Amino acid sequence: MQENYLAKWLSDELSEEELREFKSSEAYTSYQKLKEASSRLAAPDFDADQALQRLKDEHIDNAPKVITLNPFKKFLRVAAVIAVLIAGSYFYINTLDEKVSTEFAERSEVVLPDDSEIFLNADSQISYSKKNWDNKRNVDLKGEAFFKVAKGKKFTVSTDHGTVAVLGTQFNVENRKGFFEVTCYEGLVSVTHNNKESKLPAGTSFLVINGNIVSAGTPDGSAPSWMNNESSFESIPLKYVFAELERQFNIKVTTENIDTNLLFTGSFNNTDLNMALKSISTPSKTRFTIDGDNVLFYAGNTLQ
Amino acid sequence: MSNVCEDHVFSKVFKTHSKTVFNYIFYKFGNEEKAHDAVQEAFVKLWQNCAKVSPEKAKSYVYTIANNLYLNVLKAEKVRLKHADSLVKDRTHESPEFLMEEKEYKKKLDDAINALPDNQRTTFLLNRIDGKKYAEIAEMEGVSVKAIEKRMHLALKSLREQIDGI
Repeated sequence: MQENYLAKWLSDELSEEELREFKSSEAYTSYQKLKEASSRLAAPDFDADQALQRLKDEHIDNAPKVITLNPFKKFLRVAAVIAVLIAGSYFYINTLDEKVSTEFAERSEVVLPDDSEIFLNADSQISYSKKNWDNKRNVDLKGEAFFKVAKGKKFTVSTDHGTVAVLGTQFNVENRKGFFEVTCYEGLVSVTHNNKESKLPAGTSFLVINGNIVSAGTPDGSAPSWMNNESSFESIPLKYVFAELERQFNIKVTTENIDTNLLFTGSFNNTDLNMALKSISTPSKTRFTIDGDNVLFYAGNTLQ
Repeated sequence: MSNVCEDHVFSKVFKTHSKTVFNYIFYKFGNEEKAHDAVQEAFVKLWQNCAKVSPEKAKSYVYTIANNLYLNVLKAEKVRLKHADSLVKDRTHESPEFLMEEKEYKKKLDDAINALPDNQRTTFLLNRIDGKKYAEIAEMEGVSVKAIEKRMHLALKSLREQIDGI
């Protein structure tokens, strides 16, 4: 007998010989009866039409098909990505600091969120966080600016030379290469330079030249002279005077046989270059020639 | 090419295979209610994925879904089958003794069927009641024809042993 012959017998796959042999076995009658009886077995009733109706009622008509859902899902996915991008960039842009800067021979005025005012002198830049302004009144400064600070929380000006902190006042900060000057015109200003704090009452200045604190003269008026288109100096090395001249008129200054560390006291007009040049050359006993945007200062007795 | 998403194609597939899905689950677990649910679940899945399943694949798709549905979840209950009366109405066999014997035999058969391992019972009943060929059952169960023949052989052997009290 072959393997699984009972199964083969049921499916009529036995050879005649095998069938004869099986029929002669004593178990055959039992199997025959089993075959017969099992063929009359029946499963519980199942109404396909009713089941289909139930399926349609409960699942299909009420639930959207996946194929109709798919494009929507794709759309949602794209929409989600776009939403994240928009939200992300909105957040990013919001956290970016506001920046205002001036070029050579240019000035600008900035009104801060709390109505404090900043006047930017030539070649200067400030940045501050508009969003975070209510929590932290801080302005980063490069160059020179005059501040009229509205009363309120501590107001700080951060420079690479030090930090200036006030509550509500008017002051000027000049932060140039090798030159740092804070002048207080109203109220009280605190200047931190090299981790050392100095208090500046109204009408005083704090001056650092090349890292050395220098005693500075008392300022005149209620605002820095540059606010009135004049650049004033009191015992300031000539090179810083020339640097200021370059900034105010967008010119290039070169010198010949002049000690630029000589101290200069005086002022020049920020609108009239010829007058300004004379204002510098006369007290410093130098001469100058103009060639387009270039100005050459030279010692009084080398030429001529 | 016809698509299962088309209503008439889906209905046709449903009418052709739903009863076998129902019986298949019923033979396996003996639970009529769950067998009805399995039909619903399997065909809902088919409908939802109608774009991905070709009409040719629909049959094995619904069996696979139905089969996996209660795998390791449902404990097999007693399978209650109906016994149709013998088609051959032989009056000489209608003696009370014969009827008594018939009744007893049916009970023995029921018990023996329930005593079979799930897979043997399913195979046996799919063949005996639904007239499924071994190849078809093999496809439904995802096994070889030879494995189905083995189950059938073993099923017959144990049924006979149980009924004859060997």
